[in-house]
Amino acid sequence: MAQVTAAALDELAIQRAKGGDLAALERVYRAYEGTVYGVAHRICRTPEEAEEVLQETFLEVCRSIKRFRGSAPGSLTAWIKRVASSKALIRIRREKYRDTEVLEEDSGWAGRRDGDVGLRMDLEAALAQLSETSRAVVWLHDVEGYTHEEIAEQMGKTVSFSKSQLSRAHARLRMMLGEEAGC
Amino acid sequence: MLRHCTISELLEVRDGEGTATARAHVEQCEACGAELDRLHQRVAALRALPRHSPPRDRWPAVREAFVSARRRRRWSYTSWAGLAAAAGLVLFVGVNTPPRPAVAASAPEEIASLVEESQQLERVLHSYNRQGRVVNGVTAAAIAELEDRIAVVDVGIDRAQLQAAPHEAVADLWRRRVTLMDRLVNTHVQPVTYVGY
Repeated sequence: MAQVTAAALDELAIQRAKGGDLAALERVYRAYEGTVYGVAHRICRTPEEAEEVLQETFLEVCRSIKRFRGSAPGSLTAWIKRVASSKALIRIRREKYRDTEVLEEDSGWAGRRDGDVGLRMDLEAALAQLSETSRAVVWLHDVEGYTHEEIAEQMGKTVSFSKSQLSRAHARLRMMLGEEAGC
Repeated sequence: MLRHCTISELLEVRDGEGTATARAHVEQCEACGAELDRLHQRVAALRALPRHSPPRDRWPAVREAFVSARRRRRWSYTSWAGLAAAAGLVLFVGVNTPPRPAVAASAPEEIASLVEESQQLERVLHSYNRQGRVVNGVTAAAIAELEDRIAVVDVGIDRAQLQAAPHEAVADLWRRRVTLMDRLVNTHVQPVTYVGY
């Protein structure tokens, strides 16, 4: 099937998908598989797990799209992304991943401190070095645009937890990327 | 503000939530202003990272699992009296299932046993009035999650059989199915006891 973009999904296709039409559901899948895999890949530890999240997400989408009531532009995208992030976060909890990174205390200046090691790591590699939780929070908040309230709800944690994970993620990224302060 | 901003404070300033003191400090302090710029640049770089594409087409597996789950849901029929019977049978199975023998059964025997166990749990489930029950959101989400995972395992079993996979691999899939079915039955019959997996 030709590549379908999310924008090309018309109302008729969505209505048919809600009725359980497999061809229409496949169009939804084709339109959003990249988006869903992209989110899952950033949160999960391995590509295989991201693929499983992709599969679980669309199984949920196929089953629940009949109850989807959104009509505003982008609401289907937002819903599917929310299902994807929720599935990926559930996987993090289910697998009881160990957060092995050394967490930075956020007690000092955001700029350079004695002892900082400028590793000048590639951003992709630095992101991969974060704990699953920190990476999920920084990705969902700073890239996908979720609020701390939304992240906290999806993770079953508090808003403070989400904020603290975001701070730690940036502290780690800053250190690993070898960014230097202005003075 | 006599000290430089922490990363938390800079993030709050960026998100428009910072205190007036912190905002004023960032405006006046060259170092903290530069740090905020770097924060913006880092986020821009994150957003510019390439999006990964799924390495394989998963639609056939999704479709198969969805069709399988839909078929399974259509099997269910309603019987309020089934609730008591189902609960009783679950208790019976739970209490009377003999412990596994110390010596492992051969894989084909174990598979046959697991298939039987899985079918028994299916019967328990089908005797329970699932559609007539009202469950809370958490339970409904747990049920949906378990049904999805069972559907995914079912696809794996179908494929393993088609590809004549090793007995141990097939047995492992059936073990996973029985475990998930057991949780699903318990979630339906005793929703308050299901707290996660």
